[in-house]
Amino acid sequence: MLRRLLCALLLPALLCSSAMAAEKLVVATNPEWPPMEFLDDNKNIIGYDVDMFKAVAAEAGMEAEFIMTAWDGIFAGVAAGNYDVVASAVTITPERQKAFAFTVPYYDVQQIVVLRKGDSASGFADLKGKVLGGQIGTTGIFVAQKSGVDMTIREYDNVGLAMQDLLNSRIDAVVCDSPVALYYANQKEGFADQLTVAFRTEATESFGFVVRKDRKDLVERLNKGIEAVRAKGIEAELIRKWLGE
Amino acid sequence: MRENEENGLPAGMAPEGKIEVPAGGLVLPDSEKGGIVNAWSLSLVGAVVVLTVLCTVWPDPYLEILRFLPGGLVVTFEVTILSIVCAIPLGLITGLGRLSHNRVINLIASTYVEVIRGIPLLVQIFYIYYALAKFLQVSGLTSAVIAISFCYGAYMGEVFRAGIMAVPKGQTEASRSLGFNKVQTMLFVVLPQALRTIIPPVGNECIAMLKDTSLVSVMAMPDLMQFGRSFAAKSYLYFETYTVIALIYLIITLLLSKAVSILESRLNYYDKRK
Repeated sequence: MLRRLLCALLLPALLCSSAMAAEKLVVATNPEWPPMEFLDDNKNIIGYDVDMFKAVAAEAGMEAEFIMTAWDGIFAGVAAGNYDVVASAVTITPERQKAFAFTVPYYDVQQIVVLRKGDSASGFADLKGKVLGGQIGTTGIFVAQKSGVDMTIREYDNVGLAMQDLLNSRIDAVVCDSPVALYYANQKEGFADQLTVAFRTEATESFGFVVRKDRKDLVERLNKGIEAVRAKGIEAELIRKWLGE
Repeated sequence: MRENEENGLPAGMAPEGKIEVPAGGLVLPDSEKGGIVNAWSLSLVGAVVVLTVLCTVWPDPYLEILRFLPGGLVVTFEVTILSIVCAIPLGLITGLGRLSHNRVINLIASTYVEVIRGIPLLVQIFYIYYALAKFLQVSGLTSAVIAISFCYGAYMGEVFRAGIMAVPKGQTEASRSLGFNKVQTMLFVVLPQALRTIIPPVGNECIAMLKDTSLVSVMAMPDLMQFGRSFAAKSYLYFETYTVIALIYLIITLLLSKAVSILESRLNYYDKRK
């Protein structure tokens, strides 16, 4: 009798507490894209996207748990439902929109081509016959392919390896998103003194958070979160923190 | 893989002196068993039929994927053939070194085998391409060939050693008593006999090598796997792309394993007549 009474009392309490706890989102990111997302010395995932998404999720009444994923296959994982969201500097493209749902844009970038100091180029045409590297499956590679310029394009697993090969003179140029290119060319130790920004593309791209196509509800909640983050001035603060002016 | 030499038997050796197919390699088709319907023909016909059906029924995207890949196939074969050309002599030298009575040579060969076998091929590729770039810069193709032939040179060294040891000692004794020196004995008496046992497992290693070239995609080498990854990353058609890639690798390795098995049955021609 006592047991039954306890159960009757405890059950609603348990149900309530689980309902009260914030919904937890599993968020995949490829932390090889500084300063948008990268690992600090203690192997924590940090970066603009991480702080931004956490703020957005908090505004939407959810919690975010970040997990590390390789870029190659990051979309396959969200399609398979291994995680709820991809927050990894994903450019919104029509091709990707066909396969996935995106939030409203949260940050705009361009593509930048980085060269070794001493080299110069003012557009893809100047790279004719040269070897250009980039990260596999990134928009930088797509832009280079679409330029139609006759050059060798090498697709690395991550942009760091491409930058390393640029330093080693195995390739002549690297293309990637502007924040990443600026980070390597101006900030990153061991790279900044040897690399230079050659040119940036005119077209801008917008980053969005990615969810599975059938999770429109989540998109709406996140969009509201982004709105709130903007209205409260958190976004401007984070941009100052991670991306400078 | 290849643990069995820890228990006293040379690598890949079954007690009766026949070299076993190493685990991880393909099972060589046995031409004596089963007529037309056997595992080999079933796999090949299955793979070809599936690929053809996919390409005719859904030309978009399957035929598109298939059209995208030939460039990668060329690089895959290039890496494989160059690696085979380098790995077989390296394996022979290693095998002879492991059998040498000269302690220094023996130690060098054994250490090489131990070190290389203890490091995954993927790590070796990264090491040669990215880590050693600090001192010595070699192109992607050269790095790939060096990494794969060094790795497989060590594996093949064990196969060569096993094959040479499988030749009865009496052959050496007879040859020596007829006045051949050690080099002549090895070259004209032992090695030709050892080749019969060595060739099938070496062929098998070559097939395994072809499959392992898919690892070179990590250094942005445009091989078959890299072309596939590139296509998948662009189109988000992971299932379709990797299905085609898997089928192509399967068809190639099945054809090659058949070639090895034909070679094997020709080498064993006289054994069968007994």
